[in-house]
Amino acid sequence: MPQSATQWGRTPSLPPTHYVDSRIYTDQTLFEEEQEKIFEKVWSLVCHESEVPNAYDFRRCQHMSGKELLVIRGKDMKIRTFYNQCPHRGNVIAFEPSGNAKRLTCIFHLWSFDTKGNCVEITREKEGFQDRLSKKDVGLREVKTDLSAGGFVWVNVDDDCGPLEEFIDGSLDCFQHEFSTKPLEIISYHKAIVPSNYKLWHDTNRELYHEYLHRHNRMVAVMQPGYFDRLYHIFGNGHMSADPMDTRYDAYEGYGGEQRKLGWPGGGDTIHKFSDLFPTMTFNLRPPALRIDTMVPLGPDKTIIEYRGLGIKGDTPAERAERFCDHNAVWGPFGRNLSEDQIAVVGQMMAIKTGRDNSYILHGREENGAHDDICLRHYYSEWSKRMGRSAADPFNEQAAVAAE
Amino acid sequence: MATTKTATKKPRSKSAAAAKPTLKKKVEFRFETLFEREKAVRELIARTCLTMDAYDFNSYLDLCHEDFQYTITTYSPELRKDIIWLDHDKMGMKTLLDVLPLHASDHFLRLTMSRHLSVYTIDYSANDTRASVVSGLQVFNTAKDGGVTELLSVAKYFDTVALEGGKASLLSREVRLDTRMLGETGSLIPF
Repeated sequence: MPQSATQWGRTPSLPPTHYVDSRIYTDQTLFEEEQEKIFEKVWSLVCHESEVPNAYDFRRCQHMSGKELLVIRGKDMKIRTFYNQCPHRGNVIAFEPSGNAKRLTCIFHLWSFDTKGNCVEITREKEGFQDRLSKKDVGLREVKTDLSAGGFVWVNVDDDCGPLEEFIDGSLDCFQHEFSTKPLEIISYHKAIVPSNYKLWHDTNRELYHEYLHRHNRMVAVMQPGYFDRLYHIFGNGHMSADPMDTRYDAYEGYGGEQRKLGWPGGGDTIHKFSDLFPTMTFNLRPPALRIDTMVPLGPDKTIIEYRGLGIKGDTPAERAERFCDHNAVWGPFGRNLSEDQIAVVGQMMAIKTGRDNSYILHGREENGAHDDICLRHYYSEWSKRMGRSAADPFNEQAAVAAE
Repeated sequence: MATTKTATKKPRSKSAAAAKPTLKKKVEFRFETLFEREKAVRELIARTCLTMDAYDFNSYLDLCHEDFQYTITTYSPELRKDIIWLDHDKMGMKTLLDVLPLHASDHFLRLTMSRHLSVYTIDYSANDTRASVVSGLQVFNTAKDGGVTELLSVAKYFDTVALEGGKASLLSREVRLDTRMLGETGSLIPF
């Protein structure tokens, strides 16, 4: 039945844990609060160690708070992270996405820094600063950096944060064998800037119900036995994973009518498994490739999504080619899935962007299986806790009405 | 009751067959002049764009040689290496193009793609049976309401054209992308 304006704006007849106010995706003040209370507080995956394989390699990254970062492997082979910002006049030090340099020199006034963040050169130091300021006073701002199993590089801009392991809280344990049997290596990287909210992308990654969107997923997963039995597992800090599933790649046109032969060391050859970590990270394994999504929210309606594909270090050229081909067939920029997902979240934002005609986004499915929305409810429970606001009533309007 | 067109098709008359020698001669034509050869090459490259713009995938494949190879490549400054985003032979390309209309139909509704092409150079092999063609490519997407045209990608085509039996066909195509972020939603459709 069509709804009137009053009916449209009415709160759903579900518990407040089972829906969210659509303004959490569109409101500028909430976004700025997220930057302060979430992005600048939690651990964030920024790259894989294989992106800086050699001493003096660096990788320019953008932190989810928007801050420019430089991930650098030192002569001691330790990976460190710094603000990609000269302490002199604030210019970006490295413009290139990646490179190799024993010294990082700012192009503006030629101040130089080593891979441990020490300033090693101030141009005409004595003439300009006499003894009032010296190199030891102007090192790079270091950011807490740690590696998780599999060689993923995480950072936290909060110096007082807890340990990474505590943050992950076992949510990646389902990849224990896949991440430890052989070293991983990055094989693909691309990104997209989508006019949508970062949480909408993460929602899509978390819930399997949207797989109806993808012909590929319908064929290889949804229509296969056991699909609906998959259960979600929730972890602390808003993270989740799902039961693995044996996926029938041969059910989709284009794979030659054969099940794939190249699998993933330490795991099943056709086992699909994934974990989604609050607030912006996704690990998605469809042998023979692993996909990692990370995001840089630029505003409530603009998000950089970074896609990484990983394979196995030491692949033969034939294995690498197969891994790459299968990865890109589904997850590459011309692949079957990502474009469709991007259309969906862009469409959501097109519909809700005004934020004026209050509407609700439902997270109400309860079926104790693959299409249960517990994966979403758990995320917004964490979001509400960190923001000090209910995702269903972020401006406390329902509570105010109830009090009248 | 079902009928077939072949049942009613008129046999060619002897006189009609006799009027064909000109056509037969054309089929055996071997691009004896540079102008005709170059015209065939340029038209082929242009038709590959027009057929893809029209989502006329079968006509596109008809322009391709049986040994056709298609790749989309780019350089990743993040990884400091070349990467291949799509790699198909003719059969693989056919499988891909056959299945795309079964995917998210709204994608097709959203995209009106237009490939703008400039042929830069054409170099011929010693025996004139192959042409290596470099072209500039810009791919635009126009919203269905005609309101906004978005530049999806700047790229180059590196093509090899087979010139055999008086016919030009696309033997290989490398789409070398400069732009690696393909608009708001990416593209299921090859360039």
